[in-house]
Amino acid sequence: MKLASNKSLIGWFFILIAVIFITLFYFYPMLQALILSFRSGMGVNLEFVGLDNYIRLFNDPVALTAIRNTFIYLIIQVPIMILLAMFFSVLLNNPNLKFKGFFRTAIFLPAVISLVAYSVIFKYLFSTDGIVNKFLLNLSVISEPIEWLMDPFWAKVLIIIAITWRWTGYNMIFYLAALQNVDKSVYEAARIDGANSFQQFFYITIPMLKPIILFTAITSTIGTLQLFDEPMNITRGGPGNETLTISQYIYNLSFEYTPDFGYAAAVSFVIVILTVIFSMIQFRLGGDRK
Amino acid sequence: MKKWLTVITVGLLTLILSACSLGADKNTYEETGVLTAWAWDPLFNVAALELAKDYYIEEDESFELEIIENGQKDIVQRLNTGLSSGTMKGMPNIVLIEDYRAQSFLQAYPDAFYDLSDYFNIDDFADYKKAPTSFDGGQFGVPFDTGVTGLYLRTDYLEEAGYTPEDLTNITWDEFIEIGKDIKEKTGKLMISINPNDPDHLRHMIQTAGVWFTEEDGRTVNISENEAVREAVRTYTALQEEGIAHINTDWSSRVAAFQSGEVVSVAVGNWMTPSIKAEESQAGKWTIVPIPRLSVDGAVNASNLGGSSFYVLNIPGKEKAAEFLASTFGSNVDLYQDFVTEIGAIGTYLPALDGEAFKKSDDFFGGQKIIADFITWMEDIPSVNYGMHTYASMDILIGEMQKYKSGKELDDALIDAQKQAEGRLSN
Amino acid sequence: MNKLKSIFTYLILSVAALVSLFPFLWMLISMTNKSVDITQGSLMPGTHLFENLRNLFENYNVGSALFNSFFIAIIATVLCLVISSLAGYGFEVYRSKGKDIVFTILLLSMMIPFAALMVPLFRLFGDISQVFPAIGVDTLYAVILPYVTTAFFVFFFRQNTKMFTKDLIEAGRIDGLSEIGIFFRIYMPSMKNTLAAAGIISFMNNWNNYLWPLVIIQSPENQTIPLLISNLGSGYTPDYGVIYTAIVIGTIPTALVFFFLQRYFVEGMTGSVKG
Repeated sequence: MKLASNKSLIGWFFILIAVIFITLFYFYPMLQALILSFRSGMGVNLEFVGLDNYIRLFNDPVALTAIRNTFIYLIIQVPIMILLAMFFSVLLNNPNLKFKGFFRTAIFLPAVISLVAYSVIFKYLFSTDGIVNKFLLNLSVISEPIEWLMDPFWAKVLIIIAITWRWTGYNMIFYLAALQNVDKSVYEAARIDGANSFQQFFYITIPMLKPIILFTAITSTIGTLQLFDEPMNITRGGPGNETLTISQYIYNLSFEYTPDFGYAAAVSFVIVILTVIFSMIQFRLGGDRK
Repeated sequence: MKKWLTVITVGLLTLILSACSLGADKNTYEETGVLTAWAWDPLFNVAALELAKDYYIEEDESFELEIIENGQKDIVQRLNTGLSSGTMKGMPNIVLIEDYRAQSFLQAYPDAFYDLSDYFNIDDFADYKKAPTSFDGGQFGVPFDTGVTGLYLRTDYLEEAGYTPEDLTNITWDEFIEIGKDIKEKTGKLMISINPNDPDHLRHMIQTAGVWFTEEDGRTVNISENEAVREAVRTYTALQEEGIAHINTDWSSRVAAFQSGEVVSVAVGNWMTPSIKAEESQAGKWTIVPIPRLSVDGAVNASNLGGSSFYVLNIPGKEKAAEFLASTFGSNVDLYQDFVTEIGAIGTYLPALDGEAFKKSDDFFGGQKIIADFITWMEDIPSVNYGMHTYASMDILIGEMQKYKSGKELDDALIDAQKQAEGRLSN
Repeated sequence: MNKLKSIFTYLILSVAALVSLFPFLWMLISMTNKSVDITQGSLMPGTHLFENLRNLFENYNVGSALFNSFFIAIIATVLCLVISSLAGYGFEVYRSKGKDIVFTILLLSMMIPFAALMVPLFRLFGDISQVFPAIGVDTLYAVILPYVTTAFFVFFFRQNTKMFTKDLIEAGRIDGLSEIGIFFRIYMPSMKNTLAAAGIISFMNNWNNYLWPLVIIQSPENQTIPLLISNLGSGYTPDYGVIYTAIVIGTIPTALVFFFLQRYFVEGMTGSVKG
């Protein structure tokens, strides 16, 4: 008993430094942001308004559009990306594969690209007379060029393609690292029992990777709910507000327009609340119990 | 493992020590007597500050100014973060702010800027520069460049279609569209390149009518009852629907549109001149005429796009910074000649405008005296108060313009824009 | 069957690699071209490489920006790996009700967009400057401090610790190792793949970080690579040749870090430490 409580105490020391840093640099500013969300005004001329910012939010068509757009990205993009990342990591985990280092680096590289280059190149590739349209026209997939940047529907598709392109390799790393922790002998046994690759994938790999799937699902959800770079740099939220995200709106309220940091903080806490809800669902589904 | 730990520890220590020697005592004016200034274009406003500094050092040998190049967006973000946190540490003494954003800063941070009324006379400057740079009886900004607009034209394309530059001089945007359709038919060239997600043409279109998205107080939203806004939205959408506009998606594709010869005209501020001239093979093929006006009563063929002014922050060193600006940008006629000859920047300081530098002809534009033309048009720019909400109003309008384009009634779109703006900008 | 499968694998991977690498090829080609050719979308290599390099290095302090970015990325990454792995291990191995609650609260810190934290965080560093100017506003340490641990990495290490064989810990205790000794001598060496993955991500995040350095750094001598690239594109007449040259230079370090660390994703396979 004494030993156990002693160990528990040691455990607290392991987590102490992290708790201090995160409290100081995240929770303390977060608390101030929360207080700020009950105030409103331009720049430093703030006054207490109670819950007005939150009420205003539900009557603000731009905020609601941003929330809707963000949801669309989340629901479509996160599952696609996670499946793709898992698929590539399994392919790249094959010990007999040649040029592994090259393929891994190539698929990861989109994550490191400079935002400037990334957005310019995507806009160029997907312009109306761009390479992507020419390619699709030649294959007769489409009969006339798609207005990727100007059409409300296709602009969203473009954003989803762009984030998937950029972040699949990034998520792949987590799986690649975790796959090494899966005991190889389990696969041997399965193979002897006559399980094919698909069965091995679904009955061994996925269950074994559960903690990491949960991790990537939650962090990707957070990442998508806070999506900023792509709509800001590729479509500027357009056409109209059709690709605007919540984070981009927060940025505009804080820096692009005459700043109203109070209202911006209130919109931020909407993201916090949404993220908490989604994470709780995922933890449930992920069965994080022992 | 142990070896690694030692290597990493030693490496970290070396790095930390070397950074300490670099990053230690930060220079503020109080400690070092060096002023700092932020501006965003090394070839333009940063270069202008350098020239001004050289002049001022002749008066005061001990003067020291560190000019720091920051992107314009970056400056806006840094200023907002610094000023709103109340931490003036690291803020510059002098900062360049775009005229559209000036009122937003002056009013959102009322004590942050230093009143320069006693240092220079704003009446020496082009009239339209006064509203953005002053607030509540104080004069806070020293005007720098003009954003006077012009319609840059490819004379060879016009000729091919049977037009002369005179045919496009002092026209309305509706006439522009009609001519554009004809030119497209005859030459296959598009008339203009626009970006509906960043429609800066709307701003200079509206200013030709002498109004803005807000009334003269800079706060009261003026969209749904505003004939000029209505006309601008209609015209801008027509540019797309009549098929005479090339659609660009960012700065580089906008520049590419004229550098590669895809478009007949560029309607823009004079600061685009260097990018036009960058494509040397087009020398002699360009000319500049006054910007088209909106088809509303009282609109003129002169407008403004962009342009910025210098501000002094209310921190130690402000008097020195104010003296520097006053004796250079605020009164030095020679300096403004240098701006034109060395960096191609057109100032708004009236006494300097009849200098020799302003009368030179430019062979790239077929010998046209472009600077002289620009300053003639500058005098006609209608003065408007850009107020606090230029970019917020623009974004609301972009949203509704998209809906108008996909079938919504224009009046309904503008009424909704008015409502949204009132809801958002009320406090 | 197997042969077909492997052809299929190579085919998919090659297409994926091509799609991933295309923009990088573009960047490499663009850095050899003149600005005018780049804006017009030229895909042919040009002869302007040396001029672009010269313009970049003569007009901008690339050396100092590289040093600053390396300094920030390396220090933040090393500290992050140690502190976050300690915490991730602590939360999982010494699991208790209290710690689970703390962990859940920590996760909350990832859920707010950074843009909302920026102003309060800046004010905090303004206060820190009054007492310890050496780590306050406009220092490289101020860039690093918020990233020495984040809930993201604590979460990552905890999830990976779930896959770590707990018998090894008992074995260590029987051998008489202290708790911290077990962590450093048994856990850390067998987590090379996890450390490598976290190292890559942390290095990349810190190397590419833009918003926070933008507000906290003001002096040009403290500038990082992303800030420098942002400045390059800020004028009315940007030189795209120089911009792409800077982008390529700024991309190489993270690419190299990845290339070298990804080897650890293989070594774990044959490692004997696995139970």
